[in-house]
Amino acid sequence: MKKRLLSLSLAMIMTVVLLASCGDSGSGSGKSASWKVTCPWAPSGVAAMVSQKAAAKSTQYSDTITLVAEAIAGDAATVNTWVMDTEANDPELVFVGEGLLSITSIIDPSKLQFSEDDFVFVENLYSSIFVLSAEASLNIKTIADLEAYVAQGQEISVAVNGAVGSEAFLAASLFGKMGAGDNLKLVAYQSAAEAAQAVAKGETQFAVSHQSQIQETYQQGSVSVVCAFDEKAIENGPFAGVEGVGQYGYPYFRNRCFIMARAGTDEETVAELKELYDNILADEEVVTWLQDTMLLEVDTMSQEDVDAHLENVKNIVNEYKDIVAG
Amino acid sequence: MLQYILPATGLLFTLENILWINIGVFVGSVFAAIPGLSVILCVILFLPVTYTMTAIPGMMFLLGIYCAGGYGGSVSAILINTPGTPHAAATMLDGHPLSRQGRTKAALKIALYASTFGGIFSALMLLFLGPQVAKVAAQLGTAEYFMVCVFGLTIIAGVSGKSIIRGLVSACLGLLISCIGTDPMTSYDRFTFGIPRLYLGLDLAVCLIGLFALVEILAKAEKSLGELHLDTTKIKDDGKITRQEYKRMARPVLMSSIIGVLVGIIPGTGASEASWFSYNTAKNLSKHPEEFGNGSVEGIAAAESANNAVTGATLIPLLTLGIPGDGTVAIMLSALMINGLNPGLSLFTTDGDIMYAIMLGLILVNLFMFIQGKFLTTLFAKVVSIPQEILTPIIVIFCFAGAYSVNENYFDVAVALVFGALAWILRKLELPPVPILLGLVLGRMTETNFRRALLISNGDPSIFLQSIYCKIFLALIIIAVAAIIRGKLKEQKAAKAAAVQKESN
Repeated sequence: MKKRLLSLSLAMIMTVVLLASCGDSGSGSGKSASWKVTCPWAPSGVAAMVSQKAAAKSTQYSDTITLVAEAIAGDAATVNTWVMDTEANDPELVFVGEGLLSITSIIDPSKLQFSEDDFVFVENLYSSIFVLSAEASLNIKTIADLEAYVAQGQEISVAVNGAVGSEAFLAASLFGKMGAGDNLKLVAYQSAAEAAQAVAKGETQFAVSHQSQIQETYQQGSVSVVCAFDEKAIENGPFAGVEGVGQYGYPYFRNRCFIMARAGTDEETVAELKELYDNILADEEVVTWLQDTMLLEVDTMSQEDVDAHLENVKNIVNEYKDIVAG
Repeated sequence: MLQYILPATGLLFTLENILWINIGVFVGSVFAAIPGLSVILCVILFLPVTYTMTAIPGMMFLLGIYCAGGYGGSVSAILINTPGTPHAAATMLDGHPLSRQGRTKAALKIALYASTFGGIFSALMLLFLGPQVAKVAAQLGTAEYFMVCVFGLTIIAGVSGKSIIRGLVSACLGLLISCIGTDPMTSYDRFTFGIPRLYLGLDLAVCLIGLFALVEILAKAEKSLGELHLDTTKIKDDGKITRQEYKRMARPVLMSSIIGVLVGIIPGTGASEASWFSYNTAKNLSKHPEEFGNGSVEGIAAAESANNAVTGATLIPLLTLGIPGDGTVAIMLSALMINGLNPGLSLFTTDGDIMYAIMLGLILVNLFMFIQGKFLTTLFAKVVSIPQEILTPIIVIFCFAGAYSVNENYFDVAVALVFGALAWILRKLELPPVPILLGLVLGRMTETNFRRALLISNGDPSIFLQSIYCKIFLALIIIAVAAIIRGKLKEQKAAKAAAVQKESN
């Protein structure tokens, strides 16, 4: 009996101490020099990688702030938890993109236990221009080719990452505007890389993806890159010269990653963080790495730019949600 | 290739690399041995360390964690009947019974030898056949993935114990639980009951803690201390593996290494699937299938060689096509990209020496895993002699800490507790827990690929028979089902013969 009691007491004491210390790790006094940056997407994803790079550079540009990158996949759930666990001036930052603020907020608002008012904008980490790739045998290389193909009236299948993600809405807006919304079949994959591969295998005719995710398949000749979801043609990298859908009057938006602090955080602190991120994003090594390896762009923004971006995406979502969500 | 080998060797054999390999191997072994602390979590935690390094030492460190993690999961599976990682669950089926027979050291040694063989085998495959194999794997589509899943589900019969019906009931429960969360094809919520965290689905590592670790604790609570203590005085655990046992291990180890490589190169599948496929194949081909589940050396060897054979294979699509073979390798991709290396075939010409250094490094990692494992085995084997009243609370703590660490959320601790209670009820109903695990591992993948394939074919089921790969998998499924029926008929015949003999006596 004594041994049982000893065992039980030991387990209880250790559990309480351990869980209490686990819970404490998320909070801070506000005076700490370490700012935890939570990425609510896959640790292997683009945002997590850029965040890690920025964190590694932070000590080079600031004596008072050290960024500590962390990725906890979970999208809205992770941001919900972050909002619940943090207060103004806590040394915590989180990434939020148009996916949560402009898409989920319209398609499935019950998933969000926060609104834009819970955050204060610090900086945009990067801009990514999505591209539409086509199976090589279709021989579609330009928007004109694509329009001609769509005009034939046959079924169009597009591989996208997730059923209601940014890629799905970009595909819906392009083909919807071309008048092919009824013929459009969106095939959802579990990751962007998987979706990019689907078109090379011939499972779908098209795919929408980050440039870096289709690069290898493109270089092996399995796909052609038709257009970029941007205003103008791509300027740098292996896809330089690929036409932007904006040139032809089709809707578009870039994928962006907003770094947010908790609402109510001192303006001075936010300005200091913004300056740090701006310095990191102006670092020549970071710029080259983003451009050449990640195929992303440095695109620092103001609150007004953020509002305009979110509004643009919301308009697209509202117009094409019937094609995507049925 | 040869022009890169010499410079690659020069890049690899530095003191810095050797040091990082050994740190990685040690960290990976210990981390994976603790239930709930998965290999992927370990790689995520230590990834930032690599950002200050160049590509080769960074990758060596992560590969050390990855490979040793494949082996480390078996340690707790053997010692405390709780797999440290999901892919060590198959090892547990025979590893723990062998340990209970007083052969803990032998069980750990078998796991280590098989893991090392599997790891080196897949590293050689990566080195010599990487690009060719990757091209074949890249052709596998949604329909082929579904057929792989169906083949995987045939394993249920093999791990159901005496009653297939009970196994199927458990498996259905696992499949049902795997439906919890956001529908992968439409994004609508299923079985979430308004609980926000549930729409992410349930984490496999958390379920595993409840299903296998916490239920063991509950079961121990039902017994007296005298029943729990192993009488170590009568056991002479010299860790010796007989020549006969080595002979019996040879075939399953080789077969499972091949299966591990084949599964590993298919992106999206992983070590868990490989170890179950191999375990089942080894059982079907064994001359002593009755020993499986009761401490079979073949069972341990098959499961362990397969889950380590996956390590090199998952790197094949990553390094040659830029597609990560599994979640852990996807994290490693960051270590390459941070250093400006964008994986793909083109990298073999622009940075061939670095690519070959990484591939050769994988062999080195496995050798150091073997050396460290030899020393650690003796240390780990001592765990069984720790008094239960001290060991049990420590396991409980690791379980809760592991469950919390998965998503840094108390919700997961509650999920682990619920699964512990569920597993205890199932145990009382004599429903086996392993088929639940299989349902959880394969459920979402099976469903997603089935529905996606039908979406692609506009509802035409012939898509599942169109490609040559689908036909091969169909043949394998038929063979597996035939083997199950044959096995059951044999069992019935043996039972009848035994009854007749009993009557005549």
